[in-house]
Amino acid sequence: MSPAMSPPPATAATPAPSPTAAEALIRHFPAGVHAAYVRLRDTGDPAAADTLVLAIVADHVPQKGRALADTHELVADLGFDSVAISEVVFFLEDLLQVRVTNAEILRVRTIGDLRAFVRTKLAASAAAPASTVRA
Amino acid sequence: MSRSAVVTGLGFITSIGNDRAAVTASLRALRGGIERVEFVGNAALPVKVAGTVKEFTVDSASWRDWRMPSRYEIPRETLRGLAPHGVYAVCAADQAIADAGLTREDLTDGETGLYCASAGSAFLLHHNLTQMHAARFERGNPLGVVMSIAGTLNFNLAAHYGIRGAVGGFAAACASSSHALGCALDDIRLGRQTRMLIVGAEEMNAETILPFAAMRALSTNPDPATASRPFDQARDGFVGAGGAVCLILEEAETARRRGAPIYAELAGWGQAADGYNVAVSHPEGAGLAAAIQRALADAGVAPAAIDYVNAHATSTPAGDRSEALALRTVFTAAGARPRVSSTKGLTGHPLSMAGVMEAAFCALALRDGFIPGNGNLIQPDEACAGLHLPRATLDGAPRLVLNNSSGFGGSNVCHVLRRAEN
Repeated sequence: MSPAMSPPPATAATPAPSPTAAEALIRHFPAGVHAAYVRLRDTGDPAAADTLVLAIVADHVPQKGRALADTHELVADLGFDSVAISEVVFFLEDLLQVRVTNAEILRVRTIGDLRAFVRTKLAASAAAPASTVRA
Repeated sequence: MSRSAVVTGLGFITSIGNDRAAVTASLRALRGGIERVEFVGNAALPVKVAGTVKEFTVDSASWRDWRMPSRYEIPRETLRGLAPHGVYAVCAADQAIADAGLTREDLTDGETGLYCASAGSAFLLHHNLTQMHAARFERGNPLGVVMSIAGTLNFNLAAHYGIRGAVGGFAAACASSSHALGCALDDIRLGRQTRMLIVGAEEMNAETILPFAAMRALSTNPDPATASRPFDQARDGFVGAGGAVCLILEEAETARRRGAPIYAELAGWGQAADGYNVAVSHPEGAGLAAAIQRALADAGVAPAAIDYVNAHATSTPAGDRSEALALRTVFTAAGARPRVSSTKGLTGHPLSMAGVMEAAFCALALRDGFIPGNGNLIQPDEACAGLHLPRATLDGAPRLVLNNSSGFGGSNVCHVLRRAEN
């Protein structure tokens, strides 16, 4: 069953999460992940985004206890279903204040794809004028 | 009717106990599960008590924060789509499945169905919609629908247990799980299913309970020992409660063949609506009296054969009076005087789950040989004249019992349970 998601309309930007809201989202993650979030927020360091993405995938992966590699496919190797992928996307959207379309989700197959996608998304978001829709 | 159905498994997460032994002990000792609470940290609220669920912490909107007894294991794939009362429901169902001696293969054989009842999770519905509003509906929790709307129990439990038979949910407010149980009996009698899981569950939080305060239906008595006092002259409203109960109903010959424990036979059921008011019981209990008569007729028993009635009586002034009059119409008029008690004096009122919970209490009474007394009853309402309302729990096995339920819109549902002849 596919989750029903529609491409976002071109409306005004949603407000960025308060530091408290973002911290609440990742409160279950290890300290290193919190530090990566702060580094990403304050410096835009892409390597920090990689750390976050990996932590979020690990948190949602149905098959626990295995090392994650960039080449792992979310569905075929790690057991993600469409709902679990949607959960990851929702988490990223909420934490990073980006918007992801169905077409974009469908192009992501591996962890490496997801990391690259998030880097691209954040770069586009940073380049957009503050008054326009983010990414 | 050649096929009959028996109760073969029970599971409880209730204000008076989180397993069969604890619930039985509470019913026998008339030990209540109502406690002082302060909803949303607001000391000014007039509602001060509730039938609380112990051992669980599920007051966060995130499943990552939830805590439950270590004897239960719910995988992430299930937890992510559950509401707080869904956690109770899985734990109660796990108990009932083990109690009935069933395996996962039994549940997935296509002969096993699942009927559920809950109001959904007003708490998570509010949380998720608030989140979506804040994001201008541009994003939302992908599992927000299945975790919160009415039907969340059957969606989640069917997937979790791999149920391949009949699956559905019932929405008749406080009669919901009684409808579920009655329709499950029909499915077994008609040969559509061999076994049915019936689950009722509700949350004990401000979002589920306090809207009833707006209707002036909740007790404002701050004393847990007397706030819920069905049939008493001093009653002033019901006490909300949460939890979950699972009852397993099984075709009798199948159950006997596999050596299942048999608590009781579900001998019949009946329903009738008041056709009167959206929220108020018929003043003379007309719909409930008709439902009782239909249940008795379905079971093929006369009023005089009923030894015990587990009343719906929630401790509201109008509802209890209506039920008392219905009982007098059916029983007193026929010269019958069954023992009558409402166990909601102990448990509080858990809304949709009340019907299956009290059917399960009846099954315990039939198997273990006791009749629960009326906790907190001091001075019966004059509308109860002629009814036998024991204060104390009575020893001695009833042979036939009646379980009453009533809900909004004037829905009335009754079950007749018979002691099993093993």
